Amino acid sequence: MLSFILRRVLGMLPTLLVISAVCFLVIKLQPGSFTDQYLEDPRFTRETAAAISRQLGLDQPPVAQYFHWLGGVLTRFDFGYSFLQNRPVVTVIGELLGWTVFIALLTLLLSWVIAVPLGIYTAFNRHSASSQVIGVLGYLGLAIPDFLAALLIVAVVLRLGGTNVGGLFSPKYIDAPWSWARVLDLLNHLWIPVVAVGLEGVAGLMRQMRASMLDVLGQDYVRTARAKGAPQRRVIWRHAVRNAINPLISLAGLSLPTLISGTIIISIVLNLPTIGPLLYDSLVNKDQYMALTLLMFSAALLLLGNLLADIALAWADPRVRYS
Amino acid sequence: MRPIRLPARQKSALSALVCSTLALSLSASAAPKKVSGYESLGVTAGKTGGGATLILGDSPQSLNYYGAIDNNLGLISQQLFDGLVEFNYATYKLEPALAESWTVSADGKTYTFKLRQGVKWSDGEPFTADDVVFTYEQIIENPEARAGDAATFTQNGKKVNFEAVDKNTVRVTLQKPTPAFLLQMRNFIMPKHKLIKFSVEGGAKAADLNNAWPTNVAPAEVVGTGPFKLNSYTAGQKVSLVRNPNSWKVDAKGTKLPYLDTLDFLIIRDPQAQVAQFLAGNVDQLNITGAQFPDLKQKEVAGAPFKVVRSTALFGSPPFVAFNFDAKDAALAKLFSNLKFRVAAQSALNRNRLIETVYNGLAGLPGHGVAPANKEFYVNTKGSLGSFDLAAAGAALDALGLKDTDGNGVRNLPGGKDLEISLTYGTDSSVYPAIATIIQNDFKAVGIKVNLQGILVKNLLSTGLSGNFEMILHAFGDQPDPELRRPIWQPGGALYYWHRSLQSATDGAAPNIAKMFPWEKEIYSIFETAAVTPDRAQRKALYTRWQLLFAHNLPVIPLLKPENIGAVSNKYGNYVYNLGVIPGYNPVPLIYQK
Repeated sequence: MLSFILRRVLGMLPTLLVISAVCFLVIKLQPGSFTDQYLEDPRFTRETAAAISRQLGLDQPPVAQYFHWLGGVLTRFDFGYSFLQNRPVVTVIGELLGWTVFIALLTLLLSWVIAVPLGIYTAFNRHSASSQVIGVLGYLGLAIPDFLAALLIVAVVLRLGGTNVGGLFSPKYIDAPWSWARVLDLLNHLWIPVVAVGLEGVAGLMRQMRASMLDVLGQDYVRTARAKGAPQRRVIWRHAVRNAINPLISLAGLSLPTLISGTIIISIVLNLPTIGPLLYDSLVNKDQYMALTLLMFSAALLLLGNLLADIALAWADPRVRYS
Repeated sequence: MRPIRLPARQKSALSALVCSTLALSLSASAAPKKVSGYESLGVTAGKTGGGATLILGDSPQSLNYYGAIDNNLGLISQQLFDGLVEFNYATYKLEPALAESWTVSADGKTYTFKLRQGVKWSDGEPFTADDVVFTYEQIIENPEARAGDAATFTQNGKKVNFEAVDKNTVRVTLQKPTPAFLLQMRNFIMPKHKLIKFSVEGGAKAADLNNAWPTNVAPAEVVGTGPFKLNSYTAGQKVSLVRNPNSWKVDAKGTKLPYLDTLDFLIIRDPQAQVAQFLAGNVDQLNITGAQFPDLKQKEVAGAPFKVVRSTALFGSPPFVAFNFDAKDAALAKLFSNLKFRVAAQSALNRNRLIETVYNGLAGLPGHGVAPANKEFYVNTKGSLGSFDLAAAGAALDALGLKDTDGNGVRNLPGGKDLEISLTYGTDSSVYPAIATIIQNDFKAVGIKVNLQGILVKNLLSTGLSGNFEMILHAFGDQPDPELRRPIWQPGGALYYWHRSLQSATDGAAPNIAKMFPWEKEIYSIFETAAVTPDRAQRKALYTRWQLLFAHNLPVIPLLKPENIGAVSNKYGNYVYNLGVIPGYNPVPLIYQK
C-alpha cells in the first residue's frame, strides 16, 4: 500500500510540471499586460509602467520568468509574489484557505448527507410518487445555478426583514473574538451558501447513487442475501450500499478542485472570503504567479483527490485492494 | 512675495466667510482647522459618537497609498491621511489643510508653506516639515514607487526641490511657473518616522517603498494625520477604522471632528450584493447609478429608512463617443478626420433619450472637457451641442457624398464599400450597453451600420491607446482644473488616443505638431501657455477658448454628464456626496449619527 501511494505521488510530479508549463503559457498568451489596469490613473506614466515591469521581472523573456518561478518553487518552496498584493502568493492564499476549505467541505458534506439516502430511497421505491417528486426537485436543483439560488434566497430573506444577506458574519462580528454569539451569527449566514451550493450537488449525486444502487440491487449476492433471510437493513447497508457507493467515492475525489474554482460566482454574489474571486482577479489582472499557483493548486488537488479516492476505494472495497 | 490665499477681488459672501475663517485660524497658534460655512450643503452642528459602515468594492491591495494604484486603498487612505491643501466642499476652491497658509513668489516659481502648528501623528509624534519633505522627495518623486507621481514633480528634467526651512516651513522651488501646482499639494503626507526604513534615505532600495505596509501589517504601524486611524483589517471582509485622537479639525462650535467614533468598510464586490447589504441595514451609505435609482427611490418613498440624494457633480465621468482619426481602414480614417462627418454624427446622437431612458433623467447636458458645475472654468457650450435631427444628419452625410448606391439601406463609401463602423464599448456597465444600442439604432436610421464590439470596461482605455478601434464609447473623469486633464485633452497627449499619430515616439518629447489640424495646433498651444500663466483671468480666457474650439471641432463628442447619486441611512446627518477617491475632498468627518 505504501509503495502504491509513493508511486502515485512520484507519478504526479511530471504531470504537475507539464500542467504548470501549459498554464503559464496560457496566462502569457492573454493579450495586454499587468500594468494596463492602471493606465487611467493620472499618476501613471510610461516610466512607471517600465519601473513596475522591471520590479516584477516582466521585462525578462517569458521563458526566463517561468524558470525563475519554477526555481523558486523547487528550491525554496517559494511560489512567487502576488503583483496585486505585493506579498508572497502563499500568504495571500493562506489567509483565505481556511474559510474556503471550511465552506467547501460543509457543502460537500451536506450534498452527501442528503443525496445518498435520497438515492437509496428512490432506488428502492423507483415507481412511487414520492420518488418522482424527489427526482423532479433534483432536476430543478441541478438546473438552477447556485448563484441564482443564492440570489433568490437573499431576496426572500430581505423581504422577510432579515439582515443576513451575504458575507459570513454581521459587520460587528467580523473582527470580534470567538463567542457563542459569533458562532450563532456565522450559522445564520452560512446556511445560505451551503444550501445554495449544496443543493446543486445533490441532484447529480442522488442520480448517481440511485443508478449504482439499482445496478447492485439486481446482483445475485443481494438476491442471495435476501434469500438466506438477512434482515432488510442489513441487505441494504451491508450488501447493497457498500458496493453501490464505490463510484461516488471516485466522484468525491474529482470534486476536490471545486474548492478553488467551484465557488467563484457564488463567492462574489454572496461576498464570501474564499479563494474563488482571487483566482478570477488574478486571471483578469494578469497577476501571473498568483494565477499560476492557484491553477497549479487546483491541478494538484485534482491529482490528490484521485489518489485519496483510490485509497478510500481500496479501504472500502477489498476487491480493489487484492487485485 | 505676495500671498495668493486671499482672493481680494472676489466679493461673494462665501469667500468673505472663508477669508474671515482663515484670518481667525491664522491668529491662533496651535490652530485646529475650523470646518464651517457649509449651510448651503445642509451641514449642521452634529454630535460626537456612534459609527458608520461604508463599502469597499474589493480588498485593498496594500495599506501604503504610494505602493499600489488601487481605488479601494485610496478610499481608506483618504480617511487616514491629509495633504497640505484640500478642496472646499462647496466651491471646490483650495483651502488650507496641513499647511496653514502659503505664499508664492512673484515669478510663480517658489512656494513657501507654513505648516499647521501643533499637529500630531496618530501615534503622538509631532508632524513637521521633515515629514513633508520626506513624503515628496523620498516617496512621490521616487520613480520606483508604483503609485508615486515622479512625472508631475519633474520639470525640465529636474526634480522639484522641497526644502525644510524650519520645523514648520517648507519651501518648494520649481523650474518654471506652474499655476496649477497647488492642486498637486493635495498629495497625502506620510510619517517619516515610520517609513524611513523603506526609503533610499533610510538605506533601502528605491523599490522597497512598495513593500511598506502590506495588508497584514500591524495596524499600529499605519500612522497618519487624518480623521481616522486603522484599527484592524480582516482579509477579504472588513477594514475597521477608529477616530484619530489627534485629528486637527473642529466644527463651527469647536467640537472635534470627526463626529463618528468608528468607521468600517465592508468589502463587497458585487453591486447587487452591495444594494442587498444596504437594504438590510448592514451598510449605511452607498453610491448608486442612475440605472439603480428608481428601485431605491421607490423603496424610500414607500417608507424605507434611508434617503436617496442627487447632487450635480463636478467630479465624475461624462461618457463620450470618439472616432479614430487613424483608423486602420484608410477610407474610415479619412471620413472620421472630416469635421462635417463628426457634426453629422452628433446630430444622430439622441442625448435627451440617453438621459431619459438610460439614466432615468439623472444626467444633464455635458460640457466640453470641463464640467458644467465647475464655476471657475466652465463656459457654456450648450449651443454647440446641436439637436437630435436625423434628417439633418442624413442630409449632411448626403452632402459628404455618402449615398446608398447599392440600395441595401446602408450608405456606401467612395470605394463602394458599405459604411460600416464597429463601436467598442464596455459590457460590464449599467449604462454603456444601453447607450451603445441606442446609438446603433439611430445610426442605422441614417444609413450607417454600427457593429457593436463589447469588451470589459477596464480594457477600454488600453484598447483606445492601442489604436485598435474605429468608434469607441468611453469616459474620463472631470477635474476642477483643466491642467489636471492635460494628457487627455491636449493633442499629442499620452491619453489623446483618437489621434494617436500625433503622439511622440518617446515620452516627454514634443508631439508631432506638423500632423495636427489647425484647431489642434491652437488647442496644443493653449495648454502649453496656460500651464505657465500665473494670472487667473488669463488662464480662464485661454481655457474658455479651448472649450469653444473643443465644442466646435469635436475631437470627441461628449454625450452627457451623469449626476451623482448616493443613498444614505436616515440614522445619519451632514451627508455630503462623496464620489470616491478625490484627494482633498473628504466630507466623511462631518457625518454624525443622529
